[in-house]
Amino acid sequence: MAFNYDKYLRVNKMPTLWCWGCGDGVILKATIRAIDKMGWDMDNVCVISGIGCSGRFSSYINCNTIHTTHGRTIAYATGVKLANPGVNVVVVAGDGDALAIGGNHTIHGCRRNIDLNFILINNFIYGLTNSQTSPTTPQGMWSVSAQNGNIDPTFNACNLAIGAGASFVARETMLDPKKLEKILVKGFSHKGFSFIEVNSNCHINLGRKNKMANAMENLAWIDSITTPLKKWEALPPEEQLNKLPTGVLREVEQAEYCDMYEQVIAAAQGKRGKITQDDFAKKI
Amino acid sequence: MGTFKTENPGNQPVWVNTSNCKACDICVSVCPSGVLGMKYEVTSTLGAMISINHPEACIGCSECELSCPDFAIYVADKKDYKFAKLTDESKERQVAIIANNYMSLSEQGVK
Amino acid sequence: MAREVIGNGNELAAEAAIDAGAMFFSGYPITPSSEVMHVASDLLPEVGGKFIQMEDEIAGIAAALGASMTGVKSFTATSGPGISLKAEQIGLGFIAEVPLVIINVMRGGPSTGLPTRVSQADIGQAQYPTHGDYASITLCAGSLSECYTETVRGFNLAEKYMTPVFVLLDETIGHMHGKAVLPDLEEVKANIVNRATFDGPIDEYKPYKVPMNKPAVINKMFQGYRHHVTGLHHGDEGFPTEDAVQCEFNIERLVGKINTVAKENDGLDDLPDYEEYMLEDAEVCLIAYGSIGLGAYEAVQKLRAEGIKAGMFRPIMLWPSPAKRIAEIGAKFKDKIFITELNMGQYTKEIERIIKRDDFTTLFKANGRPIAPAEMVAKVKEMM
Repeated sequence: MAFNYDKYLRVNKMPTLWCWGCGDGVILKATIRAIDKMGWDMDNVCVISGIGCSGRFSSYINCNTIHTTHGRTIAYATGVKLANPGVNVVVVAGDGDALAIGGNHTIHGCRRNIDLNFILINNFIYGLTNSQTSPTTPQGMWSVSAQNGNIDPTFNACNLAIGAGASFVARETMLDPKKLEKILVKGFSHKGFSFIEVNSNCHINLGRKNKMANAMENLAWIDSITTPLKKWEALPPEEQLNKLPTGVLREVEQAEYCDMYEQVIAAAQGKRGKITQDDFAKKI
Repeated sequence: MGTFKTENPGNQPVWVNTSNCKACDICVSVCPSGVLGMKYEVTSTLGAMISINHPEACIGCSECELSCPDFAIYVADKKDYKFAKLTDESKERQVAIIANNYMSLSEQGVK
Repeated sequence: MAREVIGNGNELAAEAAIDAGAMFFSGYPITPSSEVMHVASDLLPEVGGKFIQMEDEIAGIAAALGASMTGVKSFTATSGPGISLKAEQIGLGFIAEVPLVIINVMRGGPSTGLPTRVSQADIGQAQYPTHGDYASITLCAGSLSECYTETVRGFNLAEKYMTPVFVLLDETIGHMHGKAVLPDLEEVKANIVNRATFDGPIDEYKPYKVPMNKPAVINKMFQGYRHHVTGLHHGDEGFPTEDAVQCEFNIERLVGKINTVAKENDGLDDLPDYEEYMLEDAEVCLIAYGSIGLGAYEAVQKLRAEGIKAGMFRPIMLWPSPAKRIAEIGAKFKDKIFITELNMGQYTKEIERIIKRDDFTTLFKANGRPIAPAEMVAKVKEMM
């Protein structure tokens, strides 16, 4: 007997629509294994995805699933979670989905610290629409919308999440599925907004004209740009610039939004006084 | 429509579901022990299919299963199967398989 | 027993939502609809419901749709620019069949337009707010009382037909403060419609496996019946499909479950789709809706005082329109029809379509000012 994936998958949807060697499948598998570790009752789980290759993620997991519009995953998930605080919500979005068209929702999901488990699948390109530049496509790389080379600067999604106030921020790659599973379990266990960036491959659309046209070459590139946080911290600044630290980058206990809203309900029902600044340690 | 084979087909260390395999080579690349390799298969989209060539060398690390994006390869639970130890011969075979572009050593030519 | 309350239209709409069973509001501030949000933030937590101010208009509707997808009655409120921003999400509501009440307090447009001034120029937008084929349900409140009753009705229609429903107020009626006579709360509660549910075996649960012109039967989430929601065309179980037969069926059903049903049953429920005022013996028919209807009552009275037998027809359900009655009016009043609205004739086009004539007298205004009864009287006298 191997691990029982059947329990968590919509088996008649297999094989997936993803390309051969796509990291989305590895992340789907790690997510399933992490959910198994958490022991969640799948009737009580909602998986929400957006548009892009990662959008198909929700249709493969056998639970309550929502495939939303482009970029709005976190906004829909906020409604699902706030209306049903007792359920576990996993949100999956790609770099174009969460950082470009949906950037605003990503920022504010982090800020509210609502208990969503957000998996950002960062493959550094728009895959489904065939190779357009995304906010994480490295400068100098080719894309169909940057035929002469991309000049658009990238941003660091995890730094953005930290700046916006997410209480759990981590980065991992799909190169090491065991580590990925552990990070996901940590994120799922965390109460508050868990921002988990997973660097993934798209040898088809990022790789094809950037000299990594098969999965292994693309994975080798991801390996070359990531390094564990401890090692990254020891690097000189000019080398830090070109490496993404992996592991848990931030983990703090912070009041969770649905919990805070319970206080709003208590105040409205006269069970406590109105909420004032005295309720918060951080005043500004 | 794919099916799953999480049940061990009969005292095997590792087994595959070829209806889910897309021949991406990842499992072959992560095996430390030269157990796996691709074989030419004209009916497959990429012209190749996964093959278990040296089950006796499998150390049960599960790297292939965990790295497979398509739920196509499974490894027995350590409590159900007595796996081999990693040997120099296995390691050398793995190096040769990678050098052979992830193809089984019995296969010649360019994929 | 009826209740008498004091409030403005926006506040009454928010109170109606909560009385109708809403437990979730999300939105984004925008003039002139913000009071709906203010009241929701105050009253929802009182009943254990949830209120959240989102980061933008898109998130404002997305969170409400998300909550409703799980089975919680939800609403949002905005004004024209907000609807424009929400358009794509409204489309997901249509195709995935998610009940939602969208209150639009209309202001002058296009674009930022006239944020604090009245307009009825979002009528066309309410009919076709987003890309693709679907049919919209749109109610238009013509009094303070109707701000309440039509919002309640909006929730019941949304749940019955599994679709987003527009409740249109305009700046005048939204901000008009006064006395409203409301139905008894017990009566409102007794008539609440909840979405149909499937209680057969879990493995036979197919939310979109319904006959032509019937709404989907979608259970609440987290109760054992699992399903997939998507904005893609989908088959019986909600999973994406591009099957031509299925896609055609989907669109015919989305349009038919509202337009065909309304045509066959002369409406979508038992409540009045229009109001007629002194129309029985009239020789001229004024057609007006929303806050402009309030001026038209007075115009009818003034015209009658001057010996012209005027009457008024005021549609309440704008989409699907009360086409049967409009056709009868066309046959009865011939060219003695006067249409007035706060736009360049958006509903006039619908009346022309139904009556198949365009020889009506019209008075349109799109400068953010209301239409005074005296202006209507002068125009009607010209045509008589």
